[in-house]
Amino acid sequence: MSGSKPDILWSPHHPDRYVICDSELGLYRIGPVGSSETKAGTLPLSEETAATLLAINSDTPYMKCVAWYPKHEPECLLAVGQANGRVVLTSLGQSHNSTCKELVGKEFVPKHARQCNTLAWNPVDSNLLAAGLDKHRADFSVLIWDISSKFSPEASVASEKIRLSTVDLDSSSVVTKPLYELGQNDACLSLCWLLRDPKLLLAGMHRNLAIFDLRNTSQKTFVNTKAIQGVTVDPHFHDRVASFYEGQVAIWDLRKFEKPVLTLTEQPKPLTKVAWCPTRNGLLATLTRDSNIIRLYDMQHTPTPIGDETEPTIIERSVQPCESQIGSFAWHPSSQNRMVVVSAANRVMTDFTVFERISLAWSSSTSFMWACGRHLYDCVEDGAEGVDSVIEKDIATKMRQRAQSRYGHDTVQVWRNHLLAGGSDPQLKSLWDDLFYMKQCAEDIELKLQGNKQSVVYSGIKNIVKTSSGTTESRRCWSGSDRQSDVPRYHSEERCLALRLCGWISRGPDIDVEIFLRSLEQEREWERAAAVALFNLDIRRAIQILNKGATAEKGDLNLNVVAMALSGYTDEKSSLWREMCSSLRLQLKNPYLCVMFAFLTSEPGAYDGVLYESSVAVRDRVAFACMFLSDAQLPRYIDKLTNEMKEAGNLEGILLTGLTKDGVDLMESFVDRTGDVQTASFCMLKGSPGEVLKDPRVQCWIENYRNLLDAWRFWHKRAEFDIHRGKLDPSSKPLAQVFVSCNFCGKSISYSCSAMPHQGRGFSQYGVSGSPTKSKVTSCPGCRKPLPRCALCLMNMGTPVSNCPGTGKSDDKVDLTRENKLAQFNNWFTWCHNCRHGGHAGHMLSWFRDHTECPVSACTCKCMQLDTTGNLVPSDSS
Amino acid sequence: MELHILEHSLKVASIEKEGIQICTHGLIKLAFLASKTRCKFFSLTETPEDYTIIVDEEGFKELPQSEYISVADATWLALNVVSGGGNASNSQPIGVTKIAKSVIAPLADHNISVFMLSTYQTDFILVRERDLPLVMHTLSSEFTLLRVVNGETVAVHDLGVTNGFVKPKLVPRPIIHPLSSPSNMFCVTSLDPDTLPSVATLLMDVMFYSSGPKEPGACSEDSNHIRFFSFSLIEGYISLVMDEQTTQRFPNNVLFTSASGELWKMVRIGGQPLGFDECGIVAQISEPLATADIPAYYISTFKFDHALVPEENIQSVIGALRTKSTAQ
Repeated sequence: MSGSKPDILWSPHHPDRYVICDSELGLYRIGPVGSSETKAGTLPLSEETAATLLAINSDTPYMKCVAWYPKHEPECLLAVGQANGRVVLTSLGQSHNSTCKELVGKEFVPKHARQCNTLAWNPVDSNLLAAGLDKHRADFSVLIWDISSKFSPEASVASEKIRLSTVDLDSSSVVTKPLYELGQNDACLSLCWLLRDPKLLLAGMHRNLAIFDLRNTSQKTFVNTKAIQGVTVDPHFHDRVASFYEGQVAIWDLRKFEKPVLTLTEQPKPLTKVAWCPTRNGLLATLTRDSNIIRLYDMQHTPTPIGDETEPTIIERSVQPCESQIGSFAWHPSSQNRMVVVSAANRVMTDFTVFERISLAWSSSTSFMWACGRHLYDCVEDGAEGVDSVIEKDIATKMRQRAQSRYGHDTVQVWRNHLLAGGSDPQLKSLWDDLFYMKQCAEDIELKLQGNKQSVVYSGIKNIVKTSSGTTESRRCWSGSDRQSDVPRYHSEERCLALRLCGWISRGPDIDVEIFLRSLEQEREWERAAAVALFNLDIRRAIQILNKGATAEKGDLNLNVVAMALSGYTDEKSSLWREMCSSLRLQLKNPYLCVMFAFLTSEPGAYDGVLYESSVAVRDRVAFACMFLSDAQLPRYIDKLTNEMKEAGNLEGILLTGLTKDGVDLMESFVDRTGDVQTASFCMLKGSPGEVLKDPRVQCWIENYRNLLDAWRFWHKRAEFDIHRGKLDPSSKPLAQVFVSCNFCGKSISYSCSAMPHQGRGFSQYGVSGSPTKSKVTSCPGCRKPLPRCALCLMNMGTPVSNCPGTGKSDDKVDLTRENKLAQFNNWFTWCHNCRHGGHAGHMLSWFRDHTECPVSACTCKCMQLDTTGNLVPSDSS
Repeated sequence: MELHILEHSLKVASIEKEGIQICTHGLIKLAFLASKTRCKFFSLTETPEDYTIIVDEEGFKELPQSEYISVADATWLALNVVSGGGNASNSQPIGVTKIAKSVIAPLADHNISVFMLSTYQTDFILVRERDLPLVMHTLSSEFTLLRVVNGETVAVHDLGVTNGFVKPKLVPRPIIHPLSSPSNMFCVTSLDPDTLPSVATLLMDVMFYSSGPKEPGACSEDSNHIRFFSFSLIEGYISLVMDEQTTQRFPNNVLFTSASGELWKMVRIGGQPLGFDECGIVAQISEPLATADIPAYYISTFKFDHALVPEENIQSVIGALRTKSTAQ
């Protein structure tokens, strides 16, 4: 038969059999390639599967539609609708004594011949076969045949004047009387039985979709539409139906049948088939004419509290099962997402599985989940024995812990933040020490008196030494020795400030490192203390420190040996001591011991052995440079070191760059290296708001850190950070976004706390001044009319909550700290933005702990659910 | 009941038998290559006298201008009655009988000339475009009037023009034209448009070479035998009217034969060409049939009218109609 498009039907009960119908019916069995390759005539369908032709049936010409009997027995019974409207039962590959023998060959003939467009077996009462026919005058177009009915010649002849023109048919197998006749004067283009009730039949009629009820055939529910082709019910959602018209698919909800709930984007070519995936919820496959792709629509219902208003999200994608143009396709009834596709020409078949989309989500901690098909995978980083260490080394874990220990929040003893961060990172220690010294200098009244000195404190040593002027050179004696040293030392106010920033001295202008040495001794940094003492030309103090270190508990006895070597110092240029020291010092493991001998054996002004010893802390090298490098050498060295630090993202370099643009550059490479936006945010907040804080990079770090805190549900930490940030950078304070106006006069009633920032989401708060010393404020300050009442306690707002301790009683008057002056959160005024009911925050919170609806009677607003974050619990303690 | 006013603007033409060969190109295109034209309404009826063509304006462009072709000067509109699906009475009579009293008679009373075309699928009542206001006024009481515009059906309302129309005169309608009943029996049938290519050559043979093998003078074997064949392709639906012998030439199962396999006899109306202006002819025939509840198809051609009635009713029909004409 010419012009017939192929179609595929899977057997409803044999997962390995399907029928292809074009001009004839062909039954195929699908199997793995290996088992069937020995047989001749197998057709490969994919790399793994092949099909074997089991049977061919060409008894029924002019096929228009085919439907497979839905029950187990008799198996492989097919109904074929023909071009002249006859419906013939036929079978494939069955032995002749099979159970369906008496059914096969049975014909159902409509009164007037016209094309049979569609067939549908009733899924429950499988004797019922619905046939949809073209229009013929006033005749019915939907005929429901009972396949078990017998031909009754007497009854029919009398009423219908039967004259069977086709004599070759066994007249006993012809049925002309349908069980039901529906859809008079109309054409039927598609049919399907509704799964929610097997007595209901959905029909795509000419220009309308109609639901016929077999219990009352004179009534029908219908909706006018053009999308009347290919009606099909979602097997997973019995109220959802798809139909199409030309290139457009309409999705209907039978509960709201007036109009489509969705129409999918129109295709340029007319559709030929639309089918719901039987193994996957909400997946619809569509095929257009002359196309080699199948378009898939994934309809996801994401339940939201305000579900009515949100449309389901549809993810559209295409698959290309084969190169050639597709004639038809059919989903496998049970195998997940699998289909067989037949080409438009030559009956080339392809076995194809639609790969499921993978969706992936990172958790805000260290794991992530991915979902594919029916599988959900939870992945954590795997490291045989080092699981803990790998995760713990991760900066996210560190930042989380540091956030919990209030890292960055110590604004007085700034250096303590290093301890809050765990105390194990030398760079952080250096950073916070730097910031501590800068803060100290900035607050120094003495410096304030010296004019603009204070303002340069945060601009880093690099800038400080550049402005250096009036440097004096001096040659000091080795202390405790009368020998004149030929080592020149340089002094200026700026160099002195730099030394302070390095932490060597605490006050200028005298360079007294004794305090510093003692603190180093306390921290058992013997070598460093000795080196600092030596650089201050106090060789005896250095020896003394080393001796102390050797004799201290767990001390290194080798320090005595070093002290001995040190004591032999001579400034003879060609002495043996000098010769040995300069070569053997390189074998010393401790860098400070090493630089001590480098210093002693260097020519004046040529201290590369000290200055470029990278194991020595930057602050010590800088301090050394400030003392011994000339005005010409110093800036060059500092510039070089700064660039080195910036490139490496070494936080020790903050000492040089300060919190300037250079500092941001340095911090940028630090963040690039470590991802530690937390340190970057806190550090940069210390800088002057005008300059660095405006830098987009800094704003980015801060915002990212805030988002991170939110993602961890550290909302209290986030709020604390915002407060902290607001103190240091007043421009970041958000303006008040919510005001409470009086119902009567319309004026804002928040006069008493106008500066209170609001960050509320679904709810807003109004901090009522609950100061016990004042008279209770329960009325509008503008017009003196009462404020609204709390929906629960029925008191006017502004009244302190009665059961809340610590407010409302005058005996608290004594400790009126600022915190107490502000009302407790329980007293805050909250209301729902949707229904506008509200009351005291404490009351509302306890109400919604047990209820979902608004406390105001007769209000059904689900206030708390409207707040999408309202049901989440913060994971940090307040 | 609904009356649909279809959007086709139709021309009615007659092609003389001698001139058919100059038109075959266009006719074959219209009949078998529907996708190559924009024509949506095409009907070809062969009678012993001529070929009658009913075609919409798009299709009319396919026909050549020739002295063999005469065209009725009016533009015609097709009306189509759609009875509501609600009444599920099983004994619905077919064809003009159903609409005789509701449509044909009122139009005849208002002196509106109609041109009938029954097909396998439905009955088209063709009226002149200029008569449309009067038609709508006449039928608005009985029908919901719907007009098809660009494929969409929209309701139209009576224009409210009641003045100026003559009151109908309700007079009995005698049959004034001579009747004849050929001996051959006819089938009204259809086929699947998909199978049309496979029978196209056969159909061409039937359409254009009916008198081919036989000598023109030798067809007098049965003087009562009439040559009549009608093919229509309207909005994708094919309808065929042919005599029983012609159906034998088609392969099995191609033609839509109804379960009851009715055959029809023809009543031919008119001795002289009827013209297009006389009204009431259809009413004269259909009213007695409706009274007797006999189903009938009715096909008007350029010169004569043809009614098809069930073969078993032919005697009673002839009887009834003869009485009517002699009663005058």
